[in-house]
Amino acid sequence: MATAANTAPPIGLDEPLRLGRSVLALIPGLLLLAAVGYAGKFIEQSIAVYTRSHHITFPNIEYVLWAIVIGLVISNTVGVPRVFQAGVATYEFWLKAGIVLLGSRFLLGDILHLGGISLLLVAVALALSLTFMHILGRSFKLKPKLTSLLAVGSSICGVSAIIAAKPAIDADDEDASYAIAAILALGAISLFTFPLIGHSLHLSDKAYGLWAGLAVDNTAEATAAGALYSDAAGKVAVLAKTTRNALIGFIVLGYAIYWASRGQAQAVGNKAKFLWGKFPKFVLGFLLISLLATLGYFTKTQLTSLANLSRWAFLLTFAGVGLRTSFRELGKQGWRPFAVGAIGEIFIAILTLGLVYGADSFLHL
Amino acid sequence: MPESAAKRRGVSLDVYAVALALVLALLVRLNVIPSVRW
Repeated sequence: MATAANTAPPIGLDEPLRLGRSVLALIPGLLLLAAVGYAGKFIEQSIAVYTRSHHITFPNIEYVLWAIVIGLVISNTVGVPRVFQAGVATYEFWLKAGIVLLGSRFLLGDILHLGGISLLLVAVALALSLTFMHILGRSFKLKPKLTSLLAVGSSICGVSAIIAAKPAIDADDEDASYAIAAILALGAISLFTFPLIGHSLHLSDKAYGLWAGLAVDNTAEATAAGALYSDAAGKVAVLAKTTRNALIGFIVLGYAIYWASRGQAQAVGNKAKFLWGKFPKFVLGFLLISLLATLGYFTKTQLTSLANLSRWAFLLTFAGVGLRTSFRELGKQGWRPFAVGAIGEIFIAILTLGLVYGADSFLHL
Repeated sequence: MPESAAKRRGVSLDVYAVALALVLALLVRLNVIPSVRW
């Protein structure tokens, strides 16, 4: 029988091979993301050219919607074959790279102004929505930790927040998957409802972007919901959502301390280290690129290139949003977590809409 | 890069994403990448 010693590959030799193999494994999925995203862009442009040349008045349907719809059709009909799954899962990586590059479209002053307003609104919305979610969870008799996960997911930043909170509060895998499924299903619904509501209320790009960034849970869906309205709204939605994401560590720390005080989670040792561990680092990259743009480090043409690179990264993200959403899988998770999430989301959407209206009147967005 | 692979190496996905974006920004700044169109 071979021993562990003689079967183990020599240290250093296996690493590049494994890395090479894992990079190769991403290629089919990456090509699928690119194909779906580009098909969305192609459809948008083809419709625009056709309607313009035939003098037909037709609303511009952004590539974002087409890419998501094509992805949804694939994942809910033929499904995404295993060979593509690793590459498709990189959509969040492209989202974060895209957000960092989007920093080039913001002057630091704009970030401080809009980010400051967002932070104020996020704080108010967080306090109210966390309280509401807990009351709701109790009345639907959900397990307390599942309620905590749903509250974190719907108030802060969807799936990332749930994944960050799960080990910190020692929640079950089952609870986490229920909460993630509910948040993903609601995110998919908000993609189609938010732009419709925004248009029917005649919200400005800034007001709508702020609302989408404050109310839609997952960063990918918030970015898509903003971009579906307009390019400017998408920009503001990313900024508001990034502000929300930056608070993830504080909320998860609060929950970790609460559950540890009840003897149902491990005590948090070094709180600063805990906060840094949970802090989304892409926020720092976003601020750095914005600072460089503000200091005039890039020329105008270079800034356009960076903004376009960000768009290409988002194109891969939006394709991934559709491709990873399987309604059949989401339907398996039971109705109660979904109902709590849905009622909570409606509450948060109305609350944040009221806050945005208030901010528009008093703080002049 | 999938998050699990990145986590095994003790680095979060965010760090790779930030690194890629900064490298791209530097290449654009140095005109190594020609103007990117949309």
